Amino acid sequence: MDTAMLYALRDPLGIPAHPAIFLILGVLTWALHIVAVHVLLGSSVLAIRGAFSGMDHWRRLASAMVNTAKVAVSVAIVVGVAPLLFVQVIYDPFWYTSNVLSAWWVIGFIVILIVATLALFIFYAMNYELRTKKTRCPGAMIAAILLFLVVGFIMHALSVQMLEPDKWLEWYAPNGVIDASGRSIHAYNPWRFAFFIALSLPVIGIWLFGYRRYLQGAGELDAEYLAFVKRIATRLGAVGTAISLVLLVMWMRGLPADIADFATSVWPIAAALALIVVAAYPLLLGKRLDQGLWGYTPVLVATVGMIVVAAMREAIRWVTLYGVHGYNPLDYRIVMDWYSTGLFFITFGVLGGGVVAYLLTVAWQAGQTEGTYTPSRAVNRMGTVAIIMLVLWVAQYFGFGLWTAYA
Amino acid sequence: MDLIGLFPTWYEPAIGSGWVIGIIATVHVLFSHTAVGAAILFGVLAYIGARDDRPELIEFIRKYGLFLLVFSYILGSITGPGIWYSTTVGSPRGISSLIHNFVWKWATEWVFFVIEVVGVYMLVYLAGKLDRFTYMKVAGIFAVTSYATMLAIVGILSFMMMPGMQEWKTEGGYLLGFYGDNTFAQLMIRTAFMFTITAAVGGIVAAGLKDEAFKKWLLRRLAAVGAVSAVVGISLYPWYMSTLPEIAHLVAENRMPDYFTPSILIVLGAMLAYFATTIIKPKMVTATIAGIATVAILVLGLWPGETIRESVRKPYIAGQYIYSNQVIGHDVPGMGVTSEIPTLEKVGFTQAHIFWPESQREIHRDNAADVGRTLAITACSNCHSLSDTGIRPLKNYFPKQADIEGIKTYLLGALSTGNTMYMPQIPLKEAEAEALAVYIASLNDPEAIARYESGEITASLETRSAEEVK
Repeated sequence: MDTAMLYALRDPLGIPAHPAIFLILGVLTWALHIVAVHVLLGSSVLAIRGAFSGMDHWRRLASAMVNTAKVAVSVAIVVGVAPLLFVQVIYDPFWYTSNVLSAWWVIGFIVILIVATLALFIFYAMNYELRTKKTRCPGAMIAAILLFLVVGFIMHALSVQMLEPDKWLEWYAPNGVIDASGRSIHAYNPWRFAFFIALSLPVIGIWLFGYRRYLQGAGELDAEYLAFVKRIATRLGAVGTAISLVLLVMWMRGLPADIADFATSVWPIAAALALIVVAAYPLLLGKRLDQGLWGYTPVLVATVGMIVVAAMREAIRWVTLYGVHGYNPLDYRIVMDWYSTGLFFITFGVLGGGVVAYLLTVAWQAGQTEGTYTPSRAVNRMGTVAIIMLVLWVAQYFGFGLWTAYA
Repeated sequence: MDLIGLFPTWYEPAIGSGWVIGIIATVHVLFSHTAVGAAILFGVLAYIGARDDRPELIEFIRKYGLFLLVFSYILGSITGPGIWYSTTVGSPRGISSLIHNFVWKWATEWVFFVIEVVGVYMLVYLAGKLDRFTYMKVAGIFAVTSYATMLAIVGILSFMMMPGMQEWKTEGGYLLGFYGDNTFAQLMIRTAFMFTITAAVGGIVAAGLKDEAFKKWLLRRLAAVGAVSAVVGISLYPWYMSTLPEIAHLVAENRMPDYFTPSILIVLGAMLAYFATTIIKPKMVTATIAGIATVAILVLGLWPGETIRESVRKPYIAGQYIYSNQVIGHDVPGMGVTSEIPTLEKVGFTQAHIFWPESQREIHRDNAADVGRTLAITACSNCHSLSDTGIRPLKNYFPKQADIEGIKTYLLGALSTGNTMYMPQIPLKEAEAEALAVYIASLNDPEAIARYESGEITASLETRSAEEVK
């Protein structure tokens, strides 16, 4: 597959804004998606670990983690839509080919994810009082975790297959005969997959620091439980980071010869340093971990750490596709569309930011309040502004639409 | 180099990729329309709940919201990208066209999805915790946001049929592609049916309410909403049809099975009967009956509706410029897109297709059947199954006794020149037409290949010597 062929696979429509914008958005949203995935996997594992324990602290943690997993799966799915969108914009030759060549796995991804999610909800529904009652149907949670790993593996394989255009034709037409069944997974990298999965350990560790601070804010009196959570969080952060670093090294050692130099480039080093900072940061905070908003900052630092990891992932794609195969995603033909570009950024930055800020403020403050929550005047005003922005958005939709169609 | 950007093809012999896409899409429509309709219903109920201080309405929202959390928001949010995935593998250039035209609209819709997910969790888990006016505000945000997701997607669905405005082809641009008569007609119909579905699904939850007086109050109102919206939806149908291009009417008249119109009318009648019964005797409604009504809408109502929408856009897959076999069939100067037909006429699939086995780039009598199979997979299998089952089996379109020469004549005379109704123009070089004819003949007569290769059948392609094959 030569460079001209890869370029021929591009969509001739071009793209409505500079490709760098899609590339950056792809990296950022993928990082947010993978954080949610890590929280999902980590909380699910802690939930089942606690569900098999007789210790009250473990059972309480398990109960909280089931609730976390339930929300995390929704967030992971909905946030995952964005990187899925952006990868198709500038990497369409690679993404579409990889998908078609493993079509049944792509369809299987949907079905398996549905089954996994339902299994998680079944476990949740059957264990409302996990802390005090006997664990029911643990197999549902175990099945959910295993199936989440399977869907993760499918996504992993699709991402790896993208990077091997030299082998596409052989996969599609082995020995010169078309195999259009889409039944095979053609390529995967166990170290890479294990690295991204292992990151669940430090990420859920950091998440637990935030959880602990939240409990403190809500007036938690059980100091022993808080100490227990801190102990687990610290251990997961340290051990998880160590495991992840080992896996990162193994992944880098096994890179193909034509991109072997990448292993010693700034990217994996930055990612490794970021992971070390993520694990060390809560320890460096010391007593401030229990003060004000400081206790939540490890989650922020972990998110930034995952953005660095996501940037490394993007860089390896870049050196493979551009460095080896000559495909430059940044020279995609631009057919600038100011209206839809502007509408997105206003919706994202102004409307989305404003509405989500209001909703999260209400949710947060309600969670920290005993009894019925009544927001302050300022928070109320945020809500009113949120509704006004939404109404204005709908008005502009019909305004531009009717003007375009009928004026 | 004369290359066209065709991807590999996924061919599913048992039911066909089209059915896989259709099943996922229909299930998603049920989930997503229910979600949007329920969100608006929540907004209204939360308003009444706050105004009249009726906590039972908030409790209903919590209960229905919990049900919807799994039914619509989890399954809906998986099957949504699921449509992307299934169309990616079934029609990569079709989905690519939508993505590259409307990436920002989809990204905008994503912002609303995020708000929706936060909103539904708040409505479920903070019911009774928030004061009723704050709850009403959250429900209001949730309602408008949910409807905005429908606003964002409907123009994209419409583009699958045709660009919003025909000027898009010459001038390009998002607005001309997204907005048009068909966009608004489709929006209105979907809005109406969204309430019908919501009324049916809402009945499942309402039927389980313990408070008989409230249950009666709610079921009657849901039924009224369902009945009115069903009638409104059907009455909008002529408007929708009037927005379709001429070719779509021809396809609808000639290609849709006879049972489609009666089945839609039967569903409408059954739904009206169900809603009328609910209004008169709400006590009769149980969760099972409401569940059956929902499934009936899904199987008998949504499925034909989505099938019609899917069928009448043939031979195109998007924007009236990409054929269902993924070839770009027309210029779109406004977007700098040029037709790939001239390239195919010049060099044929065997030279222009990127994913073509090297051993099949030259056609001879001894590899003609293989090349024919590759051509059939590439150019035909998106719409025609190559097996006995699946979508519109190719073998059924040729007489059982059709000879290779006769099929070849048809392929070169009518198909290559674009003179077959509902079909895309599929330019074939003479050798390609012969190869495809050999393969098509073999579908009804497996011995045809052996007879052809042995030279028993007169044809233009030469057999290579063993040395040449090597």
